[in-house]
Amino acid sequence: MTRLRALVAKELLDLRRNRGALLPVAIVTLMSLALPFTVTIAIPAMTGSPLGDDSDLVRVSAVAGVHDRLTPTGRVQLFLFQQFLMMFLLIPITGAMALAAHSVVGEKQARTLEPLLATPIATWELLISKVLGALLPTLAIAVAGLVLYFAGLVVFAEPGVAAAMATGRTAILIAFVGPVAALVSLQAAIVISSRVNDPRTAQQFGVLIIIPLSALLVAQFTGAIWLSTPALAFIGLGLVGVWILLTVFSVALFDRETILTRWK
Amino acid sequence: MIAARALTRSFGPRTVVRDVTFEVARSEIVALLGPNGAGKTTTMRMLAGLIAPTSGSVTIDGVALTPASGGTLRGRIGFLTETPGLWDRLTVRENLQIYASIYRLEGARRVIDASLDLFELTDHASARAAELSKGMRQKAALARALLHRPTILLLDEPMSGLDPEITRSVRRLLDERRSAGCSILVSTHNLDEAERMADRVALLHERLIAIDRPAALRQRLHTGHVTVRLATAASAYLHVARQFDPGAESEGGTLVVHVRDGERDTPVIVSALAAAGAPIVEVRHETPALEDVYLHLIGDAPQ
Repeated sequence: MTRLRALVAKELLDLRRNRGALLPVAIVTLMSLALPFTVTIAIPAMTGSPLGDDSDLVRVSAVAGVHDRLTPTGRVQLFLFQQFLMMFLLIPITGAMALAAHSVVGEKQARTLEPLLATPIATWELLISKVLGALLPTLAIAVAGLVLYFAGLVVFAEPGVAAAMATGRTAILIAFVGPVAALVSLQAAIVISSRVNDPRTAQQFGVLIIIPLSALLVAQFTGAIWLSTPALAFIGLGLVGVWILLTVFSVALFDRETILTRWK
Repeated sequence: MIAARALTRSFGPRTVVRDVTFEVARSEIVALLGPNGAGKTTTMRMLAGLIAPTSGSVTIDGVALTPASGGTLRGRIGFLTETPGLWDRLTVRENLQIYASIYRLEGARRVIDASLDLFELTDHASARAAELSKGMRQKAALARALLHRPTILLLDEPMSGLDPEITRSVRRLLDERRSAGCSILVSTHNLDEAERMADRVALLHERLIAIDRPAALRQRLHTGHVTVRLATAASAYLHVARQFDPGAESEGGTLVVHVRDGERDTPVIVSALAAAGAPIVEVRHETPALEDVYLHLIGDAPQ
């Protein structure tokens, strides 16, 4: 664990000196905060048309569950804020693209990988450190964003909406699905990063990671699907399996020799 | 001790290193010389266990270097890569700290302080690697390679970018490590440097062309010459010199006689000149430079 700790410390130290690398994550976080409050609170307030007056929205919001104590506007707000919560899954994925995709290929380009590979470190130690080095800061930003999100709910949403959001579904989404989705995307980005020669290629491949999640988001927003608590837990478990497979796959695919001799 | 046995490495159809066998014993420095693309870096990487040979084997202290043993054996190796490979955004001390943790060094702080002091980097310990000059970066990389006091040192161009003062201190340091029992393989383009520090020189050009002591390599060229300075005009004794070398020349008071084996021929030439009454003031046997030997042997090497 000493080696893993040392390598993670190096990643975090490096990132602390290069805060610009976290800018895309910070921007996505701000968007994830601004968009729901703009759509759900600011626009209805500016137009003078409460969300509860829209019968279609009230009907669609029923999929979020029965909440008799909420006003129709409160029920629509709850539905929309739950939908927007999914956007927070995008934060660590953005981190994956911004940080992890660059991690191995970046070391290759900076010529720092060869001395490192000449030490007794194991491949899994190197790869896990890259994952954690990207995961920890992006999760920290995501958590900070979530705290602000819930604080905003308490302040701006209809009374009872924030309390209604505090469900097992939300907890699973935030504490389980989110981090595991981040792990999967980070691990995939690391696989890509250790198989390409150029950070730009890694980032272009990294964009592909966002496609399945975007599809899920769109499907939820259009009401085509509603991910219930068991469904989310099932997705989370599936993602854990995918992450384990990807980790094994990335260790197997990490060919020190090819990485070194492919340097140009 | 590190030993390479019939090391061969191909990349696709191209063979970069072919059938290379040599050893670096304990308390020995071997300099690896060769032109660009001769396979020096590939050989170094195979010895460090970074890439596997296509055929042949590497043993370190009698243990075969394999994927299974590589992790443990790499802990005994200090490897200086062709480029310093420091993390630019980290300070010199931080760079060393990370490696100290990777090698699980006890008393890491003390070891790092001593290393910074040894390489005269203490004043730059808090500077980020990106801010260092080329020579400083090389010193920091050397400090990193030696941090865990490895018994095997593989150094790719260690003196590159170093000023003469630091070069001398690095040479002294390598001498100390040799005395401490280290096996040291140094890849270099600097023939003078190779001759100064190495016990043996290995000439590599895809194959191992030669490996021997510098003096023994010089003898292989058979092109030394003896310069004899006389107290009188040398032309009067040119006929004596030409008995040994039909191409012998005289200029003023100096005779220049080419010899194949200076150790054997010089006393004979001097005796003949003395017997002929030549007033000899000075005799100098000049062997070919290592550069001449290098160019000759590399030039003759089959491609």
